[in-house]
Amino acid sequence: MTTTAERSIVTLERVWEARPGVLGWLTTVDHKRIGLLYFWTTLVFFALGGTEALLMRTQLATANEHVISPGGFNELLTMHGVTMIFFFIIPMTTGAFGNYLIPLMIGARDMAFPRLNALSYWLFLGSGLFMYSSFLVHQAPNAGWFDYVPLALRRYDGGLNIDFYALGLILNGVASTVGSINIVTTIFKLRAPGMSWNRMPLFCFAMLAAALSLIFALPALTMDCVFLELQRKAGFDFFSPPGGDPLLWQHLFWIFGHPEVYIIVLPAFGIATSIIPTFARRRMLAFPLVAMAELLVAFIGFGVWAHHMFATGISTTTLAFFAAASMAVVIPSTIQVFAWLFTVNLGTPLFRTPLLFIGGFIVFFVLGGLTGIMFAAIPFDQAATDTYFVVAHFHFIIFGAAVFPLFGGIYYWFPKVTGRLYDEQLGKVSFFVVFAGTLLTFFPMHIVGLLGMTRRVYTYDAGLGWDVYNLLETIGGFILAAGILLILANLVVSWRRNVPAGRDPFNGGTLEWTIPSPPPHYNFAVVPTVTSAYPNWDAADRAHDIEKLHHGEAVLADGHLTPTSTVNDALAGPIAEMPEESPWPIVVAVAVTAAFFMLLTTHALIAAAFLAITLLAVLAWHGDDREQVFSTEWLARPNGWWGTALFVATEATLFGTLIGSYVYLRFRNVHWPPEGIAKPAVLVPVLLTAALVVSSLPVQLAWRAGRSGRTRAAWRFLAAGFGIQLGYFVWQVHDWVDAIHDAPPSHSTYSSILTTMLGFGHAHVLLGLLIDAWLLVQLARRFTPYRLVGLQSVALYWWVVSAISVAVLLTQESAHL
Amino acid sequence: MTNGKTPNDRRRRALALCGASVFALVVAGCGGNQNAVAPASPQEHSITTLFWVMLGGATIGFALVVALLWLGYTRRARPGLPRDVGERGATRLVVGLGIALPVALLVALFVWSDVFVITSTAAPSKSSTSLAVNVVGHDWWWEVRYPGTPVVTANEIHIPVRTRVYLSGTTADVIHSFWIPELNRKIDLIPGQTGHIVLDADRVGVFRGQCSEFCGLQHAHMAVAVIVQSKPAFRRWLAANAAPATSGNPSAFLAAGCGDCHQIRGTAARGDVGPDLTHLELRSTLAALTLANTPANLARWIRHPQAEKPGSRMPDVRLGDAQWAAIDAYLRSLR
Repeated sequence: MTTTAERSIVTLERVWEARPGVLGWLTTVDHKRIGLLYFWTTLVFFALGGTEALLMRTQLATANEHVISPGGFNELLTMHGVTMIFFFIIPMTTGAFGNYLIPLMIGARDMAFPRLNALSYWLFLGSGLFMYSSFLVHQAPNAGWFDYVPLALRRYDGGLNIDFYALGLILNGVASTVGSINIVTTIFKLRAPGMSWNRMPLFCFAMLAAALSLIFALPALTMDCVFLELQRKAGFDFFSPPGGDPLLWQHLFWIFGHPEVYIIVLPAFGIATSIIPTFARRRMLAFPLVAMAELLVAFIGFGVWAHHMFATGISTTTLAFFAAASMAVVIPSTIQVFAWLFTVNLGTPLFRTPLLFIGGFIVFFVLGGLTGIMFAAIPFDQAATDTYFVVAHFHFIIFGAAVFPLFGGIYYWFPKVTGRLYDEQLGKVSFFVVFAGTLLTFFPMHIVGLLGMTRRVYTYDAGLGWDVYNLLETIGGFILAAGILLILANLVVSWRRNVPAGRDPFNGGTLEWTIPSPPPHYNFAVVPTVTSAYPNWDAADRAHDIEKLHHGEAVLADGHLTPTSTVNDALAGPIAEMPEESPWPIVVAVAVTAAFFMLLTTHALIAAAFLAITLLAVLAWHGDDREQVFSTEWLARPNGWWGTALFVATEATLFGTLIGSYVYLRFRNVHWPPEGIAKPAVLVPVLLTAALVVSSLPVQLAWRAGRSGRTRAAWRFLAAGFGIQLGYFVWQVHDWVDAIHDAPPSHSTYSSILTTMLGFGHAHVLLGLLIDAWLLVQLARRFTPYRLVGLQSVALYWWVVSAISVAVLLTQESAHL
Repeated sequence: MTNGKTPNDRRRRALALCGASVFALVVAGCGGNQNAVAPASPQEHSITTLFWVMLGGATIGFALVVALLWLGYTRRARPGLPRDVGERGATRLVVGLGIALPVALLVALFVWSDVFVITSTAAPSKSSTSLAVNVVGHDWWWEVRYPGTPVVTANEIHIPVRTRVYLSGTTADVIHSFWIPELNRKIDLIPGQTGHIVLDADRVGVFRGQCSEFCGLQHAHMAVAVIVQSKPAFRRWLAANAAPATSGNPSAFLAAGCGDCHQIRGTAARGDVGPDLTHLELRSTLAALTLANTPANLARWIRHPQAEKPGSRMPDVRLGDAQWAAIDAYLRSLR
């Protein structure tokens, strides 16, 4: 009996063994290793962002100081915001915590797309290096983290500062989108048998909500930055009156920017709902209510963006709508707060360091939330916005509510990740220092804001009553920094002290506590079966797992195997084979980052060359076709289909942004198209679009044929679709180039938005053509289930691209109305 | 104009003196004149009341949460709440405190603030006001115009007390935001549109404000003062500023190229980049309230604007001492 178990373990160790050395880390696809890479990288960015904050606080400690030049201060305030949001909190929560913990909590052996996971990390690292290289040439972004135009246009900001910002955020957005698609697919498809939605850990609900928000929010930011770069580098006009409108930037930015706030705090909610039950030693109260609240926060978060624009002169009725939505988003938060509080009260809580940080989180979240409600009262917002009152408010949310749980979570999972216990006494001390520092840094900002101190000033005059509060804030900032260093010291000391933590030092409820610490490469020796939301407290189930191990059941040691399951009920599905280490993700990331550097310096041809290298690397990546080989039966919707569906969803949102911008700009202009520019042709675009829609049918038939084993028919159908699509593409691009020649985008807002919208449409057709061509070549050689997933995915892709092209056509032709 | 002292001249001198004393209030002043909770107008009164009521409610809510947390700590060894309500009772508490109570409070707050209070801070109808002022934001100063008069000034907005003033705001470059905390909400000045707000001060005084939308290098030094005067004093100020410029000799000023950016009515200086200087000496401050308008400061400012306000659109110009002296003398004659 024991020998069977030992043999299984030995086999698993051998199958999942990591490549040694640095090369192992560079080519890793192990979600835990990628999680750790994310963790250490984001910690470096946290240190950078924190240093920037301390420099600013030093400058503001007393009135009329000259520690930092005005230009330097503006770079610091911009990079502090950009760093903390895009290079610390999001990658720390989704990248580090999400990557490391989601598979462990749902009983999987890796993420759904391990190589894509590596790609998202390397792209993220590339975007960070890209953004920070701006300091090397003394041209760091300097127009604030929300980068309002026209300040960010070339006329007022002529260096590369804003180009670093816009291109860096586009790259960062790609990395985040890729990571989010992975998280959602993993949660949908890789949950352990029996982990139906109502048994999924609340942490995973929160991560799911955050990842979905990212998928649907990021396109608005990406498009905004594309518009900005086209205007800065190619002379397009989106933001300059009379044709363009600077408020378009603000709308698009906040359509992304407010969901962003919930993207930041949702993982924190998830960490709180992990730590509270463990230390309160009982289940979460009102579990389904909390799960729904987490999803609802993300959803309502999309309807509140204009509350950042209450002072811009938008009509009062519009303001009232957004104020109401901003109040509605309070409700899911109050549900969670009271659920946490009563869970603690109903249980017999142990106030260890992680729970202390969650207590601090609740205090600060409520404090920042209450001032947040004040900002939904429009007249007060119109007075207090862009003052230090708002700075206080969002730091209590972003630092108090989002980062405190991260600290708590770092303590909580430190034993799991390292296998060693942290120092409890030092942990408690670090909590109180950080808590006091936070309060002292950010609370006086409320007062000084009410006294009229506006945001983003590099200095201020004495005699306005601000001095003493500013000094307190600066002192608080340094106390806070000391507290954070104490946390770090605790981790280092505990690491060296090496007190073994064992499998489960806190009696946690979720699956990660059922496996050894640190977790083995394969995570779970036996595929666990789940019957409740707190499977580690179900002793009988866990005993059953061990029995299975001893019988060699559900061990899956014949390769990189992990089970899949159905989306809703998590019924056991086919076994998926996961890829092993791959050099291609990092190669792709390096090539893409290089292409962005070339775009930055306006070397379009060299950028295109790097994109070609990217394409070749992607081809090499897919030369290894073991990924997603389903060993038993065909699933209706495999991981690849879900990944594609989420990808086209985010692309469709991108087009929604484009079409929305077209309509917005259309109503800013009396003459549309402006005089001298012909209205768009009707007949040819309509016929071509109809042909494109029709072409989706043979692609769909190709998949059907492939599924029933008729390989040659599949190839022919796909080739037919490819032919029509190629014809569409050539004709459309020809007309597009002609139109650019007749009415250059630099001449009018109309031509700018139309050219961009059509250009994006054609780019998506080109991408589809490339996938078609690749599949045609591969299918001619060999037909594997992996290709079948490709066929199914491309069929979906073409349907969506067809729908998008119809929407684009209608938008284009609306100029006739 | 003659060189002899006329009553008009004496009045100007008195005004200038008054301006200098105003500076003390504006810059080094009492520490309270940019205070969003020290209202000096009906509009700001309603905003402040809203704030204090919300603060009261927020304090109660915050106390409730802290109390529940404290209860959890003190009763950490005993399971359950002090009164045993059980699992279902606790869930009902979550629903009651987490849904029902906030819904009721938020609906009330919405109706009060976003339906009623908002009417007092919304853009006024022009007919309800008796004076119009146009403000144009520039990098990094404020242009102030009084439509219907030739008066153009900068950074100091004079208005009569207890008079509804219709303020229209636009921008000449990037987005700025106009905010006088003690008088009203703020309005963003956005390219391509005009913002409107009412100023209705209920007492005489100087009310400071500063640009509230990040606008680049010298965002920190883009302050503005609203100087609320008695109605007669305001009329005198307006009349003095409507008069043409003094007849001093502008040749050094023009030779140095100052007229490319500045306007002085009645001379060849017609620039529109920097402030109109026709009555410079009737102002108490320089460079958007960065400096008090004293002869020494004025000399320092025009010689080294980049040292006083780095990044300012005003360049450091190299001139001989005699030329500077002539320009100093001319500028100081602009009363």
